[in-house]
Amino acid sequence: MMLVRAFISHYRRHPLQLAALALMIVLATMLWTGVTVLTDQARTSLFQSEQAVATRVHVVRTDAQPVGVDDFAQLRMAGVCVAPWLEIQRPPPEGRVIGIDPLAMGCFGEAAPGGNAGELDGAPFLDISEAAKLADDGYDSRLYLLTANGSVVLPEGYALRDFSLGPSTGELADSFLLNLDALSLLVLLITGLLVRSVHRLGIAQRQQSFDLLYRFGVPRERVRQFLALELVVLTGICVLPGLWLGAQLAGMLGGGFGQALDSLFDVTVYAGSAESLPWQAAGVMVVLVLAVCLVDWLLPRRWQTAAVSARGRLLAVAVLLFGLVGVALAPGLGWVFVGTALVFAGTGWLTPGLLALLARWLSDRTDGKASDPLTRWRRRELAVMFSHLALPVVALQFAMATVLAVQALVTTFEQTFDEWLAQRLEAEFYVEVPRGADAGLAAEHLQSLAGIGAWHRVIRGEARMTVDKGESVPVDLFALTPVSDLVAGWTLLASIDQPWRGLEQGGVMLNEQLARRRQLDVGDNLTVTIADSVISADIVAIYADYGRPAGEILVAGGALPESFRARFESFSVNPGDLDMADIREQLADVWSVPEVTVRDNASIRALASQVFGQTFLLTRAISLLTLVLAAIALLIMGWVFFTTRVWYFRLLGIWGLPARAIQRQLRRLSVTLTLAVTMAALPLGIWLTWVLVSRINPLAFGWSLPMDLYPLFWIELGLVAAVTGLVVAHLMRRQLVQRAGEAQGET
Amino acid sequence: MSSAVLVARGLSKDFTSGGQRVPVLSGLSLCVRPGESLAVVGRSGSGKSTLLNLLCGLQAPKEGLITVAGESFRRPRKSSERSDDDARWAELRRRSIGVVFQEANLMPALSLVDNVRLRAHLAGHATGGERGWLERLGVGAEADRYPDQVSGGQAQRAALAMVFAMAPALILADEPTGSLDRHTADAVADCLFAMQGDSGCALVLATHDSELAARCDHLLDLSALDPAGTE
Repeated sequence: MMLVRAFISHYRRHPLQLAALALMIVLATMLWTGVTVLTDQARTSLFQSEQAVATRVHVVRTDAQPVGVDDFAQLRMAGVCVAPWLEIQRPPPEGRVIGIDPLAMGCFGEAAPGGNAGELDGAPFLDISEAAKLADDGYDSRLYLLTANGSVVLPEGYALRDFSLGPSTGELADSFLLNLDALSLLVLLITGLLVRSVHRLGIAQRQQSFDLLYRFGVPRERVRQFLALELVVLTGICVLPGLWLGAQLAGMLGGGFGQALDSLFDVTVYAGSAESLPWQAAGVMVVLVLAVCLVDWLLPRRWQTAAVSARGRLLAVAVLLFGLVGVALAPGLGWVFVGTALVFAGTGWLTPGLLALLARWLSDRTDGKASDPLTRWRRRELAVMFSHLALPVVALQFAMATVLAVQALVTTFEQTFDEWLAQRLEAEFYVEVPRGADAGLAAEHLQSLAGIGAWHRVIRGEARMTVDKGESVPVDLFALTPVSDLVAGWTLLASIDQPWRGLEQGGVMLNEQLARRRQLDVGDNLTVTIADSVISADIVAIYADYGRPAGEILVAGGALPESFRARFESFSVNPGDLDMADIREQLADVWSVPEVTVRDNASIRALASQVFGQTFLLTRAISLLTLVLAAIALLIMGWVFFTTRVWYFRLLGIWGLPARAIQRQLRRLSVTLTLAVTMAALPLGIWLTWVLVSRINPLAFGWSLPMDLYPLFWIELGLVAAVTGLVVAHLMRRQLVQRAGEAQGET
Repeated sequence: MSSAVLVARGLSKDFTSGGQRVPVLSGLSLCVRPGESLAVVGRSGSGKSTLLNLLCGLQAPKEGLITVAGESFRRPRKSSERSDDDARWAELRRRSIGVVFQEANLMPALSLVDNVRLRAHLAGHATGGERGWLERLGVGAEADRYPDQVSGGQAQRAALAMVFAMAPALILADEPTGSLDRHTADAVADCLFAMQGDSGCALVLATHDSELAARCDHLLDLSALDPAGTE
């Protein structure tokens, strides 16, 4: 018992150190738990969604027209067991809902689609009559007719297709989750480094006590056993609040996460707060804490010394270069992640030494001027700190680099998305064609209006594209007529000369996703089946189409056969000299409907921005939380480490440096430390941005983003670093004053 | 006779321990002139280090007057007075008072020569003669080494070099040879007294070492003092 007392006496003397270690474990567990709960739920939901329709097929018309109520009735009368499945896409936060008809499901027996819907976390299924009301309210809707198996005999004019909830996005969703997993692992790595750094600092300070115990006859093995036990107990206690907080975090971010998957992949995923604590995350944290804190016992001492030797640094450079080349040339996403891990490992290995070298070099430059020995001392102290605070420095560097990259990615996406929206929302107003109305009549009317600005008719539907070996795949069809000035601002990724004229003359344009997936380029010939027509057309341009994975082709409206039935139609209209209210009334008269839905540009933009914000809420939240954690860790570490250097600041006081001047030195030292870490994070962050936009994004999502940098955010990050440095200096100043007061101790 | 560098009159100092006042010094007075040396001796806890801390302004007396190089200090009554005194004491320590401790107390991040350079710079002296001071104290060959790369004796010589490089009017040395072996301690003491003699500064030396104390001009035994105090 006395041994235990002696062993933990350090923490009795320094309870804040124990609190810091406990806090790090709690926060690390919280972050890891939060992220893993979300990704696990997403995977489960994806699996459940797939299971719900796993063995289903649906009936389509062979003329490629959408199925309707008439088709349902005809099929049922022909004795085919079909059930309607009406998908309604609503803006966030409601998202997608699915209308099903329980009565119609009767013919499926127990294997009814959506029968295990109760297992989904959320309420995606509702009665089809309610869904139909939503469709009538103007929400985008799509009807499917599901059937039980592939052996049914269908009437002429119908065919069976495999049923999925959207386009073939499983791989893309997996890639997104893989990206999140990679982010989680990075978070785990950073938190592991932080926990280790706080623990090692305590161990360094307790080493003298351990040596004393050894001299008193306590075997070193016994000391290690006590240390391991202490860690197990501490981690065991701290993971519990960490798990709970992580589950709460997942609950807070769950809605945004589900929306992210829905927005990005057209896949309905229902993520929410965990019903029970994720104990496996606790196991991971216990193993992580034990591993990062006690790894020194497992590694041979010569390895540890070799790591900071010249040969070790050479190896780190080799790892870094290998990683850089690997990422640039990697054929798949997995290898990109491996390469990225190597680059991080090499960078983390080299950074503290390089920063210390830089500080010493700057110190020697001062020597050359022989002007200010105090500056020389400060820079030398900085070099010492970079060496002693290597782990938190690297952790902060990683966290900052991640935040920089994610921020750049999201901002780039945001700006590109805005530009894309500006292209697509060139018109001032958008008129929805009411269900059953003849859009052709409206087009003729708009054509006849004198003084109207640019306008075009937008037609959306489905087509099939012939790929290798005569197979065809479904693609979204997008048609414009006439090809007006509204499309003049489109940024085309590749095109022939005068692409829009090419489109009018029978050419076809593809979105980037489809071009990448099918490795198609401008000038290639494409065979497309639209309704009952087969069109052979040259690709005249490839356009950017962000935020969804579906392949899409764009044709001129004139290329659509008479038999084509649109899924959705609208008009984009600039009223020009006319009043939009008048145009609206006229169109209502043309269509003989009491009301025409007209949306203005601003409301659509607002809706799109809302979807976008939801999509990246999670990524931003995780990276920012990691940064906060790293900043807290640096604060703790800086504060604790500075206390070991407090005597040297007092020595300056004894040598006559005024208190204000000492505090100034302290501030400059701590702020320089945190700003230097920010500077070290910049190149890594920029590189990571490039990896995200130019390597991971095309491999995972099918579209690339321009590489943009945002120096303003660097300044913001620098300010966070400076504030962290100032807080450390403030804490130290208090300690200096406190120690001076203790030393005075007079009455 | 030249005027005193250091004068203390009626110095008292208490500490609080376990809620009780413990008197350490009471009514102590002393006077040291340029070129003179005063040994302060006494048993452990008699207040030697406390006295030296009072004499360089690191602690404030409960009562009494201290005059160093013409600057006088009493216990400050207001915070503004305390702030002013702190600034004046800092200026004195920077330019006129050299402090030597039992441990060398060098900046570990700087080489020996850079430590001397820093101290001279703080005292407002032009840098350049640091290596000369280290050579005079017998550690010129170690000038570019760091404190953890030299022996305790060499580090203490470097600490003395730092003090002499600032050309102080008063040196306060608290057990400067306390952590050294006899041979090294003698060598360091030889350096200290030789340099003090050359520079003509005053020296107050707190020590347990009777031989070292005997080399000083005057002796103040704190163990012999009662609370009434003695000059």
